[in-house]
Amino acid sequence: MITKAIAFVWNWIKQSWMFLCFFAGFFLFWQYSIDWFDIPRYILPKPTEIITKSSADLDKLLYYTWVTGSESVLGYVIAIIVAVPLGLAIAFSTILRRTIYPFFVSIEMIPKIAFAPLFISWLGFGLLPKVIIVFLVCFFPIVLNAILAFGSLGEELTRFCAATGASKKDAFFKVRLPAALPQCFVGFKYAAINATVGATIAEFIGSDQGLGFYIQIVTGNMRPDLAFAGIFFLTLLGLSLFGLVTLAERLLIPWHISQRRH
Amino acid sequence: MIQEAVEIKALTKVFGQGENAVKAFGPSDLDINEGEFISLLGPSGCGKSTLLLMVAGLLESSSGSVKLKGTSVTGPRTDIGIMFQDNTLVPWRTVRGNIELQLELRGLNVDDYSERIDTLLQQVSLSEFSQNAPYELSGGMQQRAAFCQALIHEPDTLLLDEPLGKLDAMTREVIRRDLQTLWMQKKQTVMLVTHSIEEAVQLSNRVVVISPRPGVIDQIFEIDLPWPRDLEVKNSPAFSEYVMQIQRIFQNYGVL
Repeated sequence: MITKAIAFVWNWIKQSWMFLCFFAGFFLFWQYSIDWFDIPRYILPKPTEIITKSSADLDKLLYYTWVTGSESVLGYVIAIIVAVPLGLAIAFSTILRRTIYPFFVSIEMIPKIAFAPLFISWLGFGLLPKVIIVFLVCFFPIVLNAILAFGSLGEELTRFCAATGASKKDAFFKVRLPAALPQCFVGFKYAAINATVGATIAEFIGSDQGLGFYIQIVTGNMRPDLAFAGIFFLTLLGLSLFGLVTLAERLLIPWHISQRRH
Repeated sequence: MIQEAVEIKALTKVFGQGENAVKAFGPSDLDINEGEFISLLGPSGCGKSTLLLMVAGLLESSSGSVKLKGTSVTGPRTDIGIMFQDNTLVPWRTVRGNIELQLELRGLNVDDYSERIDTLLQQVSLSEFSQNAPYELSGGMQQRAAFCQALIHEPDTLLLDEPLGKLDAMTREVIRRDLQTLWMQKKQTVMLVTHSIEEAVQLSNRVVVISPRPGVIDQIFEIDLPWPRDLEVKNSPAFSEYVMQIQRIFQNYGVL
């Protein structure tokens, strides 16, 4: 077990040592260039200072990560729950495809984040306006990809289903749904990246907790070291969300060309 | 009297309307006997696939009628086996799972067909690959798996739309032989769309030549050669004579 783990880590190092060296070099350059170029601390702190000084705020950072994480995940999951069935309905209904679909396409052109101040002013500083803003930035990529996914089953498979006389339910669950999943995941992944961005900006505009709120406050207090700590946890949050969706993709559609490993 | 498996009367297909209307097929008549192997032969775009889809009920005709085993075709027919140039194997199922998909979509009990699946896979030499995903197989193996999928519910009518179109010459040769063996055992009624003259002559009782634009049935050749049409038959002067006769028609069309 332990030898296996060591072998795994060793393999990983062997494959990605170039990237690891670059990564380490980047932080070393950052660390020493502050002194070399005489950069004031209130402009850019050293990486080591970010770690030592923010450790006092660790509890707060973790709690705020939880807050921003909840907003992101709630808005994201609700967007999936609403957008996928709606995309399915639009793909199969001529009326919806001629009414709601062009409406959605035009809304997709609006930067959704522009609505954020309105929602904050309507609904206050709480969780709800953030979830709505996350929902808005996640909803459109998911619904547009779902429409594409469910509307583009190959001619051959459509004819094959018709020639078997399959019930609508069987044709859907055994052919249409699995065939649509890869394109759906394109939307899910894009939206996963949007989710934390949406939550952070919503917090910038009006909130009393969360990582976006934290970054704005500490920047105002001339503490870029703490702002970088906030950005670090935000990055961690975004990576985790994206990682989970990628993992789900690998488990659900291991057969898709994008997932095959030879 | 032998019942006609397929009766095609004054059948036409026109795409579009008014000035933009494009005549895709017909009008043509054709009767196919039960157990007969028919090839629809013609250059690309002559409407041979259109004809096949109308027989399957997957495409509405513009005028005329098709009868399959005595009843008019008005919608998709389920009492057939159908194959396309791009196979209908799905990547999320194994080879065996794909054959079972045909049964499941028809609401048939998969367990009842377990032995038949084994037999079919063996006949096309795919037994070892029954648990492989389609994308792990070569193009030729995939098409053989697709044959099993199209045959598993034991249809007595087979509609094949260029199933070998995308394969290399050597693989096509092998699969033609397999197809002929399968057909000689069960004697289904087969309509095969192809643009290979050799393939048509080798496999068919009758070769139906369709002219390019407008796509109408121009000539029908009775192929009077012994079965099975193995390499020996293919090398016979009689075989070459048929191929040459049909080639001449295409030369007159200006497509060869």
